[in-house]
Amino acid sequence: MSEITSVLIIGGAGFLGLHLIQQFYDVEISSGRPQITVFDVRPLPEKLSKQFTFNSQDIEFVKGDLTSAEDVSNAIKLANANVVVHAASPIHGGKADIYQLVNVQGTRNVIDVCREQKVKALVYTSSAGVIFNGQDVHNADETWPIPEEPMDAYNETKAIAEDMVLKSNDPDHGFYTVALRPAGIFGPGDRQLVPGLRAVAKLGQSKFQIGDNNNLFDWTYAGNVADAHVLAAKKILDPETALEVSGQTFFITNDTPSYFWALARTVWKADNHIDKFVIVLKRPVAILAGYLSEFFSSLLHKEPGLTPFRVKIVCAYRYHNISKAKRLLGYEPRVGLEEGIQKTLAWMDEKL
Amino acid sequence: MKVSELLLHPAECIALVQFKFVRKPLFSGVGAGRETADLARCRELLRLTSRSFAAVIMELHPELRDCVMLFYLVLRALDTVEDDMTIDDAVKVPLLRSFDEKLLLDDWSFDGNSPQEKDRCVLVEFPCILREFHKLRAEYRDVVVRITREMGNGMADYIEDEQFNREGIQTVAEYDRYCHYVAGLVGDGLTQLTVLAGFSSQELADNPQYFESMGLFLQKTNIIRDYREDLDDGRVFWPKAVWSKYTKEQDGTLAEFASLENTESGVFCINDLVLNALDHIEDVLTYLASVHEQSSFQFCAIPQVMAIATLALLCNNAAVLQGNVKIRKGTTCWLILRSRTFRGCVEIFEEYLREIRGKVPVRDPNYLKFNVRIGKIDQFIEELYQSNLPEGIQPRKTPIYLKVSERTKYDDKVAPTIQAEQQTIQWVLVTCGSLVAALIVGYLMKR
Repeated sequence: MSEITSVLIIGGAGFLGLHLIQQFYDVEISSGRPQITVFDVRPLPEKLSKQFTFNSQDIEFVKGDLTSAEDVSNAIKLANANVVVHAASPIHGGKADIYQLVNVQGTRNVIDVCREQKVKALVYTSSAGVIFNGQDVHNADETWPIPEEPMDAYNETKAIAEDMVLKSNDPDHGFYTVALRPAGIFGPGDRQLVPGLRAVAKLGQSKFQIGDNNNLFDWTYAGNVADAHVLAAKKILDPETALEVSGQTFFITNDTPSYFWALARTVWKADNHIDKFVIVLKRPVAILAGYLSEFFSSLLHKEPGLTPFRVKIVCAYRYHNISKAKRLLGYEPRVGLEEGIQKTLAWMDEKL
Repeated sequence: MKVSELLLHPAECIALVQFKFVRKPLFSGVGAGRETADLARCRELLRLTSRSFAAVIMELHPELRDCVMLFYLVLRALDTVEDDMTIDDAVKVPLLRSFDEKLLLDDWSFDGNSPQEKDRCVLVEFPCILREFHKLRAEYRDVVVRITREMGNGMADYIEDEQFNREGIQTVAEYDRYCHYVAGLVGDGLTQLTVLAGFSSQELADNPQYFESMGLFLQKTNIIRDYREDLDDGRVFWPKAVWSKYTKEQDGTLAEFASLENTESGVFCINDLVLNALDHIEDVLTYLASVHEQSSFQFCAIPQVMAIATLALLCNNAAVLQGNVKIRKGTTCWLILRSRTFRGCVEIFEEYLREIRGKVPVRDPNYLKFNVRIGKIDQFIEELYQSNLPEGIQPRKTPIYLKVSERTKYDDKVAPTIQAEQQTIQWVLVTCGSLVAALIVGYLMKR
């Protein structure tokens, strides 16, 4: 079977990207380890968390813009990549035209250059959010449809990009593609989930519970997501498994859906913060409060803390069935939720 | 039973009335004159040794009723030998190891129990049991003999196990093994019997994990609940690997939790054991989904729903450390009525799991583990019915989904009976309400 001799990680300097570097760095091949090249708009951080054990000197860096086909082309040539991992994406919550440029045009560039330069395997980091439009997601698997009415521009463009990647799968010409849909990624380097939860407690808002806390949510440790990428790359390079895996999409989670506020309270507990009383705001009440918050914030030209959108996110069931990833990729989450939280808090304490 | 307790829980009060006066058992124990003197005496022995179990067995399908009764009496006899501290081990151990051989005899009895042993009659009158036992189908007898042999040997092993008797159960694996001998084997035997009768899937007989979980779930619930009673008897069944995490003394013992100043750590230990018991729930639900004969289903379901209700009561409950806690009589009736369908059982489990999750405090060391475990069970339950799919998406035809679909057909057969009962109880309530209202109005009119 073909080995991962050289991998280009697009977006490799970002949160998930660093975990991808680590996981590919740990891959063993006959000549030692894969050559790893990172393509990003900025270099790897000068100071890395102690939890990353790879040697930065071994990682090649190419600065460039994904929206430039020429930049992508140069990077893939330099890397001489047989595997490309496309994990670049703007952070959720930005502007629509940025999503269109990066997620759609950028991905088009990646696909075109990969085919032109005879790259064998392309692993795309999609999102579990592509099937979500505000309605509950109960134990979804890959047969669930992309909603006709997307929830927002981010998920819409991720879905378009995913579709492009899957349609470009071309075994007859030796080009294999796969899309992974991670849910709720957290871990060292994430500046949204765990840091956000800690900030909430500091603001004294942890005493409020939005919704009845019966909704299950999937969180996924970043190292597990990266591991899934390695497994996917191996499978689509292996002639025995390439045909059944390529052109497919896979949900990737920690396989331990949990109630929304349980993870939050676990993070707060680790900070020695346990509320004696919790005020529960039912979903309809919270949505109304969100509209009011949005209205008054706009009057004051401030960013609202509570919005109807956030209430719907927090109250929705969003958990997934990953039996397909287990069966076809051999994926199993190696780091559990509790350990993942500990690692994330340890990273935050490093204050990089 | 306290009237005030019933009045505080009207739904349970109604369930009690429905259970006692409206519900009709699937089968009753009346043999219409075909009953031999021996069989009648066996029934009496059953009532003498376990009133509640007697009532349940009498509602079983005739094909299995006598067999299960005799199985119970044989195990009770075995247990009566094992429990009696006045019998010297030199007599007890060989008897336990050879007890299965007694089942092949026509006439054997044992008179070695202490006069104070309340169940000694089962052994003194064992010939009566033997005569009825030999009338059973050969395949049924083989099951009872095998289980008796394994259980007798297990009991003897524990009596001879000096470390066990000195230090109690050490690891969680030993805890599971102990529960296997006490309860898992009973689950094994009952499973083989229902499969031989054609009342359950052959798959249940072939996969020990399912009937093991049925037995272990019940036994672990009892062990957690009986902390104080066992402590007062000088016995320890909580695994040291669990309780030693919570004792404060360097060489602490389980007795430490009975002191009021150690209540919190004792409660954390209870919760840890409850969490361990939750590992059996998927297997329990899979097992129940595989039983299709209705009386056997109810026979299996009732103890399981009572166990989850009990676990919810035990969870985070300091009263466990001080005495006996048990679910209310009205709750029992409500559970029995509701667990006549598989869907009803699933709903009961869901409700009590939600209650357990609400009880575990954030400061509990296992707080996230509880949420993850119960989340996983919730995910499993979602896969049983797959009723939350988007439009146009077909359910995955997984083995458990197909099994539940099959079981649902039997649920549908029971539904009309349940509905008729509910209509009757509603009619009674409306009538009583009208009567009371009329009396009140009449009384007021007089003034």
